[in-house]
Amino acid sequence: MQNIHRQTIIGGVAILLALFLVFVAIPNWVYAPSNVRKLVLSPLFWPYALALLTLLVGLGLVFTGMRSDERLEPDPAEMPGGFFRLAIMAVIMVIYMAGLPRLGMVWTSMLAFAATAFLVRTRHPKTALICAIVIPLLLYAFFAHVAGVAIPQGLLVRLP
Amino acid sequence: MSLMDSILAGLSLVGNLESFLALFAGVVIGTIGGAIPGMSATMAVALTLPFTFAMQPITGILMLLGVYKGGIFGGSIPAILIKTPGTPASSATVLDGYPMAEKGEAGRALGMALWASCTADVISNLSLILFAGFLASFALNFGPPEFFTLILFSLTIIAGVSGRSLLRGAFSAMLGLLLATVGLDLIYGTNRFTFGNPNMMGGLNFIAVLIGLFAIPEILSMVWDPKGNDGTARKLGRNWVTWADYKASFRSIVRGSFIGVFLGSIPGIGAAPSAFLSYSEARRKSKNRDNFGKGEIEGVAAAEAGNNGVAGATLIPLLALGVPGDVITAIIIGAFMVHGLQPGPMMFIMNVDIIYGLFIGLIVSSVFLFFVGSAAIRGFRYVADIPRGVLVPGVLILCVYGVFAVNNNIFDVGVMFVMGWVGYLMMRNEIPAAPFLIAFILGPLLEDNFRQSMLMSGSNPLILFRGPITWFFWGLTAITVVAIVRAGYRATRQLRKREARAADAR
Repeated sequence: MQNIHRQTIIGGVAILLALFLVFVAIPNWVYAPSNVRKLVLSPLFWPYALALLTLLVGLGLVFTGMRSDERLEPDPAEMPGGFFRLAIMAVIMVIYMAGLPRLGMVWTSMLAFAATAFLVRTRHPKTALICAIVIPLLLYAFFAHVAGVAIPQGLLVRLP
Repeated sequence: MSLMDSILAGLSLVGNLESFLALFAGVVIGTIGGAIPGMSATMAVALTLPFTFAMQPITGILMLLGVYKGGIFGGSIPAILIKTPGTPASSATVLDGYPMAEKGEAGRALGMALWASCTADVISNLSLILFAGFLASFALNFGPPEFFTLILFSLTIIAGVSGRSLLRGAFSAMLGLLLATVGLDLIYGTNRFTFGNPNMMGGLNFIAVLIGLFAIPEILSMVWDPKGNDGTARKLGRNWVTWADYKASFRSIVRGSFIGVFLGSIPGIGAAPSAFLSYSEARRKSKNRDNFGKGEIEGVAAAEAGNNGVAGATLIPLLALGVPGDVITAIIIGAFMVHGLQPGPMMFIMNVDIIYGLFIGLIVSSVFLFFVGSAAIRGFRYVADIPRGVLVPGVLILCVYGVFAVNNNIFDVGVMFVMGWVGYLMMRNEIPAAPFLIAFILGPLLEDNFRQSMLMSGSNPLILFRGPITWFFWGLTAITVVAIVRAGYRATRQLRKREARAADAR
């Protein structure tokens, strides 16, 4: 992997994306009425044009990447375990999404706040816990009572 | 409507306590947001946007403009005190601001930053008032082919100057344009990439995409490296900026302001290049050029004038043409859209009261900035002390509430998270996010104008070259591409030469 340039990889991704669009995504997921006489006016034209331009950009990236000196190595995090923390953050996001309709936005946000604070190894755990309770409640008060947004309440505890 | 009538109409719209309070609150939020290391003016504007939905259109937009102005100045405070620019636009301020802080003159540097920012802000606002109407009246002659070429030019320049290479910027713009095709077709109403999901039929929510692209990646970078950007704030010192300092730097401030106005009015260039250009021009022309980089107050003045000179001017293409000049104005265009307003030449006819209301608000914002900025300089240590362990989850929760509030839809929260990971991947690979967002906003407009042109001409593409305006924009697009490719080629050649010399020396 040491000899692959970042630009080449990005170009490769662009080419794969363009090919996927041209051969799979556009034929299957873009619908055009049968009575369109000119291709240029069809709903298919713009996605195909963009896919072809993406292909050209991808080829350009691969070509220039061959001559680039930039390497693929990521910048190391100052604190080890960066990838692990990112994976945990992804899990927090998934649980957050899943919890919104069931637990309600306020309670899920409290849990997500606390989990994220401990994930970034807060040096102020008490402040973080107080904020985890207060901030979601304050935001609920503003959005539900001032802005008139129907904040999801969940199935367990309902707020006024 | 005469000029006086327009001004009175604007005044009747903003001449109330609510509007001025919103503007003031916006400047305060922006200054704090810009001053917090790890946040930025862009993130501050994006996170404030959902709070403006419940307001009157003019009040909400004024609040966002206040955040924008405050955020650009606020970024200079950590730049000077802890050598960490709060926003990319303040990077040039570090060059002389931090050495001044090291010499115990942080208060003087910050005072000059504030005075220069306010002066540049006034000049930029006046330029907006002078030129936007003129440009809008000219743009009334534009038809679909002219708008198509204008948007194409804007996207080209944004893709070219936003990142380290034109091709990466172009790839980012392509992704934005592709994402903008999701939803129902503009003319035939057939499905495009909706996968049968009714949530996707209206296209992806713009605010979910923008908060995903600009706030979530910052959270993920802080998760990746929770200890990054820690710095010790320098003391303000006893010296304060004097009238003599201001007078000595006045030429650089005015020059920097006009550089900001010129670069800001071109879509895509933004505040950071303007600050660096203003700084280098000041160094070239100054009597104290040898002291630049070692703590020269004129350097701070020039950098801050350069970045604040952009703030009003970026609204020129936004209001007159409906084309956002940078990411922040792209977010502000979202506020217009949420309130059912479409910036562009027609707005100067249909909503002249809003336009003049904004002009009045912008002028008042410079006064607010002066007072809020003075207080922020003294109160920075409280802001700098906000622990990351509270800031990161706080921003996450704000994002979720804000995005949900747009349509009361949990699907949008999911879109935001997905876009956040896309934005983070782009950030790690140095693919600029600005072309993505601006292409996503302008994509439907670009396609619409293209298809209308084709309908007008019976599918003859020559209509896209129909007159001097289209030729003008095609010419600008070609010049931009050639200039960017040439600059990239030269930079690579110079880098290779330097490396070859270094290898020889070894």
